[in-house]
Amino acid sequence: MFYLHFRNELWKLFGKKRTYIGFGAFLVVQTGMLLMFRFGHVRADMERVLAGNGYLAEEYISALTVAVIMLIPQVALLMPLYATLVGGDMVAKEAEEGTLRMILSRPISRFRLLLMKWLTGIVFATLLVLVLGGTALCLARIWFPWKGMFVSWPGIGFNVLSVGTGFSLYLWSLTFMAVNASVAVGLAFMFSCFNMKPAAATILALSVLFVSIVMENIPFFESYKEWFPTYHFNTWIRIYSQPTPWDAVGQALCILLAMNLTTFLVGAAAFQARDIKS
Amino acid sequence: MAVDNLTLRVPAGEIYGLLGHNGAGKSTAIGMMLGQVWPTSGEVKICGHDVTARRRQALQKVGAIFESPAFYDYLSGRRNLEILTSYTAATPPARVREVIEWVGLSGREDSKVRTYSHGMRARLALAQALLPHPELLILDEPSDGLDPEGIHEMRQTILRLHRDLGLTILLSSHLLNEVEQLCTRIAVLNQGRMVFEGTMASTKQRERWVRLKVGDFPSAVSLLRGAQLIKGSREGRLISLDEGVSTDRIVKLLVEHSQPVYEIASEEETLEDFYLGLMNGQREVK
Repeated sequence: MFYLHFRNELWKLFGKKRTYIGFGAFLVVQTGMLLMFRFGHVRADMERVLAGNGYLAEEYISALTVAVIMLIPQVALLMPLYATLVGGDMVAKEAEEGTLRMILSRPISRFRLLLMKWLTGIVFATLLVLVLGGTALCLARIWFPWKGMFVSWPGIGFNVLSVGTGFSLYLWSLTFMAVNASVAVGLAFMFSCFNMKPAAATILALSVLFVSIVMENIPFFESYKEWFPTYHFNTWIRIYSQPTPWDAVGQALCILLAMNLTTFLVGAAAFQARDIKS
Repeated sequence: MAVDNLTLRVPAGEIYGLLGHNGAGKSTAIGMMLGQVWPTSGEVKICGHDVTARRRQALQKVGAIFESPAFYDYLSGRRNLEILTSYTAATPPARVREVIEWVGLSGREDSKVRTYSHGMRARLALAQALLPHPELLILDEPSDGLDPEGIHEMRQTILRLHRDLGLTILLSSHLLNEVEQLCTRIAVLNQGRMVFEGTMASTKQRERWVRLKVGDFPSAVSLLRGAQLIKGSREGRLISLDEGVSTDRIVKLLVEHSQPVYEIASEEETLEDFYLGLMNGQREVK
């Protein structure tokens, strides 16, 4: 039965055209960014930075470097938006359209139904990141060579990596992105378990993430920033720091997973308590 | 409070009508039966199992249809059935085919539900309710939104289900005509409380109404009341006879007092008369 119920949720999610709109949007944005990188001034700026640090630009402006640069704005902006859109729909849309009432006239527990939906959300988040990371790398490879990479970002400094280390960290960073996307899906999912419209669940989840980003960056909260979930979202890029701070990475992973589980349990409790009416 | 102090027992094999105006508490009562609405007190048992504590066992043999049935419009009819029925039990494809045929959706089962007419959606709703071999079928306003042909078809189907499959059917409706034609027993809800429960036949035996056409109806009523032959009158044309009084005595008395009688005939009380009388009575009680 677990398989059947899980399969149902996958059918429902991936049977909708709307599910694929985000994938299309990512592809368009990635293509645009790649063109900008290839023909704009970004490349020249990077060459200057590398030369200033004593590195040969042609050795490090690679497919991996460009893929990571392409991912930064998408992970920060598009991914949470799209993940919360899907997460906000998962329960609230079914309640709004009346299919939830049809399901709950069957002998399935509310918790089990929610668990299946939540797991589907995790699958979706993982798939989204895999597609995102895969297409970014493939598109970047069209114009840029498969060589070592460099990553420069506030808080992690300037890091030059060999192709082997770079690719392995790229895969690790995708894992973290998947966790980030799952947390965003889970947050919207939690709100959608309450009696509200799908759009309201999405907006609330986005608001939580936005407030978290703003507060995390206010100097007053500098010593509290680890309390904000979005601080841990940046682990996907902190991973490129040399040497990789695995203990901090592990801690962030635990916090995000705990947050994901907490939002699920809060949503499940709210869903269990509410009346399902037409 | 949507439902207050409601005690309802649906005997096996009946078509049980749950009647009441909009907001009377019918859908809430059904929601409680299906474990979708939590009662603040009391219990709901289906086939002997408590819906709250033993949901799986209680709803194993239950099928339900709601007003304006909702489906995943972007999926095919067959896929919708596969999804909905899997929440009860794994169903073999042959059973899905059989039910699709039974409801008359053969040939269209692989089309997307968004292409279905209202009538086809109603049939699909029926199919999903029948797939798990139910013993109890709960129908919440099943004719809502259907055209006259669709309503007729739905009624015939309900009767067929009762006759051929021996299902117990709980039908919630505010269409008196529909309830009258289908149900063997009814409960009437008003503002969350049950104001009547009994067989359909008992709704017609409560008062004997006689249609009376005379020259002066008010004075005829006054005369008959004075002679203690009638209990009441209504609508300027109907009188309710006292126990043991026959129409010939009415005619005799009126003629003796020079009241011309043009017509006298017994009038069978419809469910509508009964229902309106019940609701008026409720208003007067308040």
